[in-house]
Formats: sequence, structure tokens, C-alpha cells
Amino acid sequence: MSLPRPLEGIRVVDFTWVRAGPWAARWLGTFGAEVIKVEWPENLDILRMNRFTVPTGVEPGPNSTGQFADTNANKRGITLNVRTPKGLEVIKKLIAVSDVVIENFSSRIMQRFGLGYDVLKQIKPDIVYISMAGFGQTGRHHNYGTMGPAAQALSGLTFLSGLPGVPPAGWGWSYLDDTGGMYGAMCALTALRHRNATGKGQHVDLSQMITGITLTGSAFLDKTVNGRQARREGYPPGNRTTWPGAPVTNNYRGPTVAPHNGYRTKGGGYNDWCVIACFSNQEWKNLVKLMGSPSWADDSRFDTLNGRLEHQEEIDRGIESWTKTLEKYELADKCQADGVRAMPVQSSEDRVEHDPQLRDRGMYTEMDHPMLGRWKFQNAPFKLSGSPPEMHRPPPMIGQHNREVMEELLGLSHHELEDGYKDGTFWPEEMPMYPYVEEALK
Amino acid sequence: MTNNVSPNPAALAGPLSGLRVLELADEKGQFCGKLMGDLGADVIKIEPRGGQNTRSVGPFYKDIPHQDRSLSFWHYNTSKRGITLNLESTEGRELFRRLTATADIVLETFPPGYLPALGLGYKDLASGNPGLIVCSLTPFGQTGPWRDYLTCDLAHLAAGGQMASSGYDADDVADAPPIAPGGGNAWHIGSHYAYMGIMAALFYRDASGEGQYIDASVHEACALTTEGAIAIYLSTGEVVQRHTGRHASPDNSVKIQLPTQDGGWVNVTRSGSALNPARLRRLAEWMDEHGLAQDLLDEKYQDLATVQADARHTTDVLANFFANMPQEDLWTGGQERDFPWGAIRTMDEIMGDPHLEDRGFFVEVEHPELGQSFTYPGAAAIYNGSPWAISRRAPLIGEHNEEIFCGELALSKGELTLLAESGVI
Ligand SMILES: CC(C)(COP(=O)(O)OP(=O)(O)OC[C@H]1O[C@@H](n2cnc3c(N)ncnc32)[C@H](O)[C@@H]1OP(=O)(O)O)[C@@H](O)C(=O)NCCC(=O)NCCS
Repeated sequence: MSLPRPLEGIRVVDFTWVRAGPWAARWLGTFGAEVIKVEWPENLDILRMNRFTVPTGVEPGPNSTGQFADTNANKRGITLNVRTPKGLEVIKKLIAVSDVVIENFSSRIMQRFGLGYDVLKQIKPDIVYISMAGFGQTGRHHNYGTMGPAAQALSGLTFLSGLPGVPPAGWGWSYLDDTGGMYGAMCALTALRHRNATGKGQHVDLSQMITGITLTGSAFLDKTVNGRQARREGYPPGNRTTWPGAPVTNNYRGPTVAPHNGYRTKGGGYNDWCVIACFSNQEWKNLVKLMGSPSWADDSRFDTLNGRLEHQEEIDRGIESWTKTLEKYELADKCQADGVRAMPVQSSEDRVEHDPQLRDRGMYTEMDHPMLGRWKFQNAPFKLSGSPPEMHRPPPMIGQHNREVMEELLGLSHHELEDGYKDGTFWPEEMPMYPYVEEALK
Repeated sequence: MTNNVSPNPAALAGPLSGLRVLELADEKGQFCGKLMGDLGADVIKIEPRGGQNTRSVGPFYKDIPHQDRSLSFWHYNTSKRGITLNLESTEGRELFRRLTATADIVLETFPPGYLPALGLGYKDLASGNPGLIVCSLTPFGQTGPWRDYLTCDLAHLAAGGQMASSGYDADDVADAPPIAPGGGNAWHIGSHYAYMGIMAALFYRDASGEGQYIDASVHEACALTTEGAIAIYLSTGEVVQRHTGRHASPDNSVKIQLPTQDGGWVNVTRSGSALNPARLRRLAEWMDEHGLAQDLLDEKYQDLATVQADARHTTDVLANFFANMPQEDLWTGGQERDFPWGAIRTMDEIMGDPHLEDRGFFVEVEHPELGQSFTYPGAAAIYNGSPWAISRRAPLIGEHNEEIFCGELALSKGELTLLAESGVI
């Protein structure tokens, strides 16, 4: 790839861990910034231990999880104990030659290290510092910790998801880790842009939990402006826009229409489902025709939106009796060919193996990983014509780039590096070293 | 000294100030435009004559439908000015070209090929303005077999994998379908990534002077946003199973969404804060204050292996404690004891949260047309050197036609009238 990368020349000190923070820094790396992940093996990033993503046949260990790999691609990695005076001195050297510091510890850890923004900006006056504490670093509950699911619950997002009359279904993954990561990257890019324009750095105090509140859509204004009660009959309405029989209130997903639901498809497997939605009378007519105008559907009660909303149960039963005769991709293709909105429910396997669109657009890039072998990484969901994002480096093994960074970038002597391994600066004194770490020291 | 005092927002310009954005966006991209506007860019929303279709999405102010009363439109279109323009007319195209000469960014969500067919594609627009960045945010991008497929939020959450991960344990709701979480998040996910792409392009332009074209796909953005599901499949070949209120996973994990005495729920995420003897003791002492510790103060729990082996039992005892305590006391009591728990809050509980007040999250936005102010959600991040702040409410239809066409493009009032009468604005 000979095109330039957009963030060429930017260096990022990446203290992040778990998912939200690393996902943010991963995008900066994908844009061509030089990202250096700082870790300490005694406080191991839990993604390095994710038991579900060690491929069979691969020796378990901190360098063997697929989830860490994709989340930390395009970075180099060092191990450095910044709680020691010597480690602190080294990290300050690195910060002095960097543009961005990003972290998602709980709110007072950086200050405890002696690396609060007041210190950072003394070391590098125009530094961009992104902190990602769950509740932020400001406000009375800044010390509250969060992982994605709790942040989702607190932000109001969890309550938006589910069927009426039963507990919320919530989000079956850490949506606010993915999103927290996007915001971390967005904040860094925005602050860098501001620095280009003004020469000034700044501290951006992001809160993962608060991010989620705005993502409830107009639920917030429906409360503050209309005083709408959140807990109400028929809400949340599952995959429908409103629950049959309940008073019509907006569900903050878009316009209120019917049909609008998930339907079982042929095969009857766990993910053999397809969604269909008709946004107009015309789209409904298209669907009826496509289904072969069955007698149940050819009913004037369904000609209007009101009628369809009122009789959703009947309509959904009818549609499903048809969708069960077709395989989900075939069904979606047929609907689309006739002007009906429909898409298959896709599992992870479906997206990787069966989705023709993702395949055509090149969603996954393969790179060699020292433990995982040839491995797929997820690309950016956009193409830039002049300076494209690019997957260019597998994730770091823990401590993999200590020598490169310490000697080549920071000018430490080899002797100083060796000393640092002996005195617990670059590796915990009691912990055995991995062969590649020892190899790098030779 | 403290680094946490946010400066007076009025005294500082937002981080994107000085940039002009032309937004031609429906539900797919209006949130991206809002983010740029709230962060200081001069966003001009260009709507079709008669207003963007997103103006007719409810809920409406006092439940009275009107294109200037959509709360959804209000939410997604803060900090923008608004004009109307019929791009299918010669005069409309000409005015649009004149405006793009003043712009840094064009954000558009038309079906692929629509703008180029009008002679308004990236190449046409950039020929007089080489620094221009054009971002097309569409359901599937500009290429590929699904390029022209029709979608909606639900369709994207199906194809993107969100639904395959969200739903219920069979013992909570038998035969439950996969669930698409609400809020319109397919559009948020697409808008976040479009924003990132635009920022990267801007940064590159600062170095090179060159603009570029961005082809962003909502589907790809969603397909990226299921955390570990893809990695689990790639690693083990397993497809995740849906669970109530917690991570979909290949196994039948411990339930963590515990019902409370007052009809609420608290999420007691464990990962990252796995129980050990010291933490379990801290919890048990609290439970004991309410006479609900059962056997958890037993000496055998001073052994890590026992604590880990008994995770399900501990959860049962915890569940009983929760069933006897109110939601608010539980999650804050947990947090005060260093457990990263969160209550399932609705807007009813979020309003007035003192922490959010401390951060200035609740923002009063004036609606002069109604003689009233309303509380909006403010900044998710405090930019200490350049504020993220809502600068104005969403525009009324064509509110800034005169300001922009006459004030900036120097049309006379007479010309403006002719344009309105002939269906251009
Ligand atoms: C995820 C979270 C709950 C984990 O909590 P935690 O395990 O108590 O970790 P903290 O962030 O409080 O502390 C970080 C620890 O790692 C240590 N550490 C990390 N990197 C280190 C390094 N390079 N050198 C020395 N110590 C290091 C710190 O010293 C600290 O340990 P200490 O408290 O014993 O001094 C917390 O980090 C958090 O709330 N983060 C913000 C929200 C977030 O992003 N959540 C995760 C979403 S995926």
C-alpha cells in the first residue's frame, strides 16, 4: 500500500486495557499513528486472559487470545512498571516525544502514578490527554468503576431493549466498550485537529457511562419535554415499533410502522431469523404480492397503518408462516428485489463466512500472528480515497517491543535495559520471562 | 492544583470551530452532523424543500405532530443552521456548488450514485475546492451486491449481528426471538465511524492540503460492533448464545442481572472484579448488616479456590440479598465498596443524578419559537481546552435561508422570493 496514512507521525502512549480503551487506540493505530501500549504483567489486561478466544491447539497464555489480538492490532507494546521512580522517569521520556496519552483506568490512577494532566503538560505542553474513566474524572462519583454492561444499565440503554412485561434483555455484549472505544478515538482525533489549528493540547475527560445516555435517542427529550413515564404498558416493544393493544408511544427507533419484526425462517436453527419491515402502504402491498397474495393478507383491515398496527399479531403469524418456507438469505434477497425491507439475522459465523457484502468490501484482513498463525482482523468500516486506514501490524506480545522502544526511540543503553530487567522496571522480578523476551535481550 | 475544573465554556471555542460542514443527511447521518456541530463546527443542514423526512418522526412536542415539533429531530439536529434547497433544480445545484466552495466537509446520505448523477459527486465538487472532504454514509457503501438494499435500524441490527447476541435465557423467556435493542443505534454506530473517518481526513488535510472522498458503510460499522462475538467464532468456531442482560457466550454463564425488592434490577458484572476472599468478605459484612449473609462469612470462604468453585452459590445468596433491598441502595452501596455495579436506570432515575449535574451534563436549550427552554443531554466528554457544547436548538424549516442565501451568497430578497416561488428553496 503506497498511499500515506492519515495519522503518520503521531505517537500515542497507550495505557489502556480491557476493551474500551484499547479499541480506541487501535483505531489511531489503524490511521497510521505509532501506538505504544504500556503494560505491567502483574496487572495483566484481562483480554489477554479471555478464555473463550484461545483457539484449540494453541498454548494458552497472555499472547494467545483472539479477542486481545483484534482489539490491539496496529500497536507495539512495552512492559514498564510506572510505580517505580525509574519506571516513572522512563515513561516521562516517552511522553516527552509523544502527541497523545490515552488511558481507561479508574479515575485517580494516573494522578497516583504522578502522571496527572498537570504533570503531563509540563513534560509536553501540547499533549493531548484522553482519560476514559467510567464516570469520568470529574463529578462526585468519579471513583465509581464500570464495565460495559453496568455502564449500559446506568445510562438507560439496557432498559430500551427487550419484550414488555419481562426483565430487560439488554445488550448481549459490551456495547459501551465498543462505543467507549469509538469515543476515545473520536476525542483524540478531535483534540489533535484542535491542536493543529491552535497549537494547544488539552485534557479530554470522557465518561463511558455518560456516552450511553445520548444514545437512547429521543427517550431523553421525551422525558424532559413531554414528561413521558419510562415504565409504561407495552414498553419496550421487542422488535416491534409499538406493542399491540398498548397506547401508541414512540420507541425511539424511528417511525411507528407495521409489520416490523423478526421472523423464523427455514431450517429452524438458532439464528435462522429474518427481519421484515414495511414503512409504507406501498411496501406492505409489495410484501403481500411477494407472498403470493394469500387470503389472510388480502384483507382491507390491513390497508392502513392503523389497521396493521392494531392487527400485528395476526399479520406477524401470517408472515411467519411464509418466511418459514424460505432460507433467510433467499428470503431477504426476494424481499429486496420486490422493494421490501428485509435482512437476515446474522451470527458471527454468518458475517465471516456467508455475508456477500462484507466479502465484497473486504471486511477482514489476514495477518500473521506469532501464536495464532494466519489470523483475520476487522477493517475500518469506511474507505478513504487519499489516505486509507490499514491493518498493518499484529498486536504486541507482552513486552515484545521493549528493546526497540527503549534503545532506539528513547536512547537507553543496552546496559540500562538489562539493569531494568533485573531491578523490576521492565519485568516483574519474581515472574519468569518468555523466551522471546530473553531472546530480545541478547 | 487540580486539572478537573472545566473552563467557562462561553469563553472558549469548540475544538472544530472554524470548520464548515454541509450536511445533507437523514436518520443515517444526522447524529454525525450533530456531533460536529456540538463540537464547534458551523454545520449547515441542507434539507429538501418541505423539510427532511426525519422531521416527521415522533415523539412530538406535547404529542402534537408538526415538522418543527419532532423531539427526535430536535435531539439529532442541535448546533446546526438549516436551509432548504431543491438539488434537482438547476438553480438549486448552482447554489449548492457556491456553498461547497465555502465548505470543508460535505456529509451526505443519499442512495449511492444520486449526487454524481446530478453532477454533484466528489470530483465535481472538489474541482474548485481541492481541500474538500466528502463523506457518503450509506447502508452498505458505494459498492457490493447489497449496495442498493433497503434498510432501517432493525434491518441493520439483524445483519450487523446485534440481534444474534441479544435476547433471553430460555428459562427467563421461553422461545424468545433475538432482540434488536432500541434507541436507533445502527445510525449512531454508523455516525460514530463516519465522524472518525472525517476527523482522520481532516488531520491528513492539515498536513497535505488535500481533501478526499470517504465511503462509509453502516453495515460494516454494525458488523464491527459486537465486541467478542467474531473473535470467539474465529478462535473456536463457536457461535454465541443469547442470555438475559449479559454477554452472549458459548456457555451458560452465571446470571448477573439481579431483580431488586422494588421491582428494578442491578447488573453485577463480575469480569475484572472477580470475587476473592477479601472482596467476598467485604460483601458478606454488608449483607450481614441486613441479616442476609447466610453462610458467606464462613471461614471456608477465606480460600480462593472455594470462592471460585462456589460462584453459583454466592450468586444465589447475593440474589436473595438483592430481592430484599431497593435498587438505588444496592448499586451505590456496591460501588462504595468497590464493586463496579450498575442499576438498570430509566430516564426517570437518570434525571437529576447529582454526578451528572456536577459534570454539567444537563443543558438548558432555548426554544425561542416556543418561549421556553428544555433540558437536553450535553457532553459525554469534558474538553478542558475547547468545550463540547450545544450552541443552538435544531433549526426550523428553512430558518436560515435568508441569513445564508442573502447574507452570504448575496442574493436579494427579491431573488429569494423567486426561488421560493419556483420551487428551489
Ligand atoms: C476496568 C476497571 C473497573 C478495573 O478496575 P481495577 O482492576 O481496580 O483497576 P484500576 O483502573 O483501578 O487500577 C489499575 C491498576 O493497575 C496498575 N497498573 C496498570 N498499569 C500499570 C503499569 N504500567 N505500571 C504499574 N502499575 C500499573 C495500577 O497501579 C493499578 O493498581 P493499584 O490500584 O494496585 O495501584 C477500571 O480500570 C475502570 O473503571 N476503568 C474505566 C472504565 C473502563 O474503561 N472500563 C472497562 C471497559 S472495557
